[in-house]
Amino acid sequence: MSHPSTQRGAVSDPVLSVVAPLYNESENVRPLVEWILQALAEYPRPFEIILVDDGSRDDTWAQVHSAAADPRVRGLRLGRNAGQTAAMMAGFDHARGTVVVSLDGDLQNDPRDIPALLAKLDEGYDLVCGWRQRRQDKFLLRKVPSWVANRIIRRLTGVPITDNGCSLKAYRRELLDRLSLYAEQHRFIPALSASVGARITEMPVRHHARRFGESKYGISRTVKVLVDLLTLKMITTFRSRPLIGFAMVSVVALLVALLFGVMWAIAWTQFGPEKARALVFPGAGLLWLGTAFYLIMLGLVAEVALRNERESASTIPHAWEVVR
Amino acid sequence: MTAKGMVVESLGEPTPGAGHAGDRLISVVVPVVERTDDLVALYQAFAAELGRLGEAFEFVFVFDGGFTPSPELTTLSEQDRHIHLLRFAQRFGETAALRLGVDRSRGEVILTLPAYFQVQPEGLGPLLQAVDNGADLAVAYRSPRRDSWLNRVQTRAFHQIIGGLSDQRFHDMACGARAMHRRIAENLPLYGDMHRFIPAIALREGFRVTEVPVAQHPNDIRTRVYGPGVYLRRLLDIATFFFLAKFTEKPLRFFGLIGSIFLGVGSLISLALLVDKIAGEAIANRPLLLFGVLLIALGVQLIGLGLVGEIIVHLRAPHRRAYRVREQV
Repeated sequence: MSHPSTQRGAVSDPVLSVVAPLYNESENVRPLVEWILQALAEYPRPFEIILVDDGSRDDTWAQVHSAAADPRVRGLRLGRNAGQTAAMMAGFDHARGTVVVSLDGDLQNDPRDIPALLAKLDEGYDLVCGWRQRRQDKFLLRKVPSWVANRIIRRLTGVPITDNGCSLKAYRRELLDRLSLYAEQHRFIPALSASVGARITEMPVRHHARRFGESKYGISRTVKVLVDLLTLKMITTFRSRPLIGFAMVSVVALLVALLFGVMWAIAWTQFGPEKARALVFPGAGLLWLGTAFYLIMLGLVAEVALRNERESASTIPHAWEVVR
Repeated sequence: MTAKGMVVESLGEPTPGAGHAGDRLISVVVPVVERTDDLVALYQAFAAELGRLGEAFEFVFVFDGGFTPSPELTTLSEQDRHIHLLRFAQRFGETAALRLGVDRSRGEVILTLPAYFQVQPEGLGPLLQAVDNGADLAVAYRSPRRDSWLNRVQTRAFHQIIGGLSDQRFHDMACGARAMHRRIAENLPLYGDMHRFIPAIALREGFRVTEVPVAQHPNDIRTRVYGPGVYLRRLLDIATFFFLAKFTEKPLRFFGLIGSIFLGVGSLISLALLVDKIAGEAIANRPLLLFGVLLIALGVQLIGLGLVGEIIVHLRAPHRRAYRVREQV
C-alpha cells in the first residue's frame, strides 16, 4: 500500500497514529481532538491524529477541516458512507506510525487510556484490545447481545478476548500490514489477527456514556453477526485447505444417506420387497448422497479459487518472524 | 496499476487552472453498437458545438462487430485529424466499446455520446460545466422527455427499482451522453452490460454524480418496442446489479438467508412428521418426508455455495478497498 506523500505542515515521521472513524459526529469532533491532544501531551515522540469522515451527512467534514489546522491532525473524507470497517481501513492505510491506536469517534472511549495501551504493546504484543469496564450503554439493546456474541466468538475461535466490540485498540504496523478487513469485520479483529499469528492481549479501559449524537447500532445486527461468524470460522480455520471443511460436512451428509439406506434395507427384510418399494427412503438417501457429492465439488471450487490467488501472490504465509 | 478495483488515493478538488476551455483536450467516445444515425452529420453537429465552446477535442468512434464506418466517414477521417475510428472484430457490446474508446483516447475529459441524435448538441456546454464545477461524473437526462407513454412507464419503472437501491435517484440512466474526468472513466468497474448503470455504479464507488437536464433531440422521440428477450435480459441486469450492490462483500448474507429459510422449513416439516411417527402413524411412505429432506439438503447446499463466495471475497480482500478517499486535509 503506498502512502500519500507527506503534506506540507504535517508532522513528519510520526511514531504513533491515532485513528478515529466519524459518522455524523459533528459535535464530537472538537472535544475528541482536544481530549486526545491532552491525553498525549506527555507522549515523548511525534504522533498524528487521523480523523476519517465516513460520508457524514451533517457538517462533520467542516469540523474535521478546522481541526486539521493543527499540524498533528489529518482528515480523510470518504466518497460515500462505506461503513465502520472500511473507514478504519482507510485510516490504517493512511497512518504512518509504527504503532496505531483506533478509537470510536463518539467520546465513549477514553483517550487517557492510550499511554497504558502503548505500554502494554511494548511488552511484546502485536494487538492490545480494550476491555470496557462498567459499560455505559443500554442494557437490553446493547449489553446483552454483546455479551452473548462475545461468548460465541470466544468459543468458536478460541481467542480469549472478553470484549471484541471495543474500538479502543493498539496495533503494531506489522500486524496491520497483514490484515485486510472488509465488510463488518471490525468486530472480529482479535480472531482475524490471531489467525495471522499475532500475539494478543487485553486490558481494562474506561467507558463513558454518549454525550452528543446518536448511537448507530441497533438490535437488527444480531442475525448478521451470526452469519458473519460462520464465515469467520471458515476463513480462520480452513483458509489454507477449504476442501477439508467441506469434506467434513460432506461426511455427515454421507452418513445421513447411509442411515436412509440402512432403514430401507431393514424395511425390505421385514416387510418384503413389495411394500418396501413404496417407501421414500431410497429417494431421501440419494438426495443426501447427491448433497455429499456436491459439497466435495464446492470444496474443489474453493481450492481452485485459493490456488489462483496464491499463484499471483507470494506462497510464504505472512505470519512469521525472526526469533533470534 | 489501473487494475479493476484499485484505489485512487486522492480525488481532491479539480486542479485550478484546468477546466478552462482551450487548454485541455476533450475526448468524445462514441460507441457504435445498436442504433446509428448518419455519423458524419452527428460528428459535424457536435464538433461544431464543441468548437463554438472553444474546446480542443477528438472523436473516437468505436464500431462493434457487424458495424462498419460509412465510406463518407472514412474519407472524412482521412482529412480530419480529430476523428479516430476503431473497430471490434466481433460483437463485444457497448461496455467493451466504451472501455476501448477511453483506453485509446488522450483527453483529460471524456465525453460519451450515443451514435445517434439522442440529445441536442447545445447540451454539451452544461454537461462540461457540471464537470468543471466539481462533479466527477455528469450525466445528461433528457428533459422534457417526449416519448410515448409506454416508454415513459418503462423508464419510470426501471428507475424506481434502481432508485430504491442507491442513495440518489436518477431520472435517465439510459442516456448515453455523459461527461467525466479521465480518472473516473478508468476506475469505473464496468463489465458485461453494466453501462446501463454507470451513474449508480459511480455513486456506489464514492464519486460525485450530477444530473444535467438536456433537451431531447427530435430524432430520439419515437416509440421503442422490444421483444420479450430484451425485458428478460434487463431483469437479469437489474438482479445482477442488486446482488452486486448488496452482497459483493457478503455473499453468505444472501445465500445464507435463503439457505436458512429452506433449512428451517425443511426442519419444521421433518419435525411435524416425527410427531406423527411418535403418535403411531406410518411416515415412511409419505412424499412429504422426501420434500422435507429435499429442503434441508438444498439449504445445506446453498450455505455451502455462500461459503465458497466468502472464501473468494476473502482471498481478494488484500487487493481491494471498500472506500474511496474524496478529500484529504
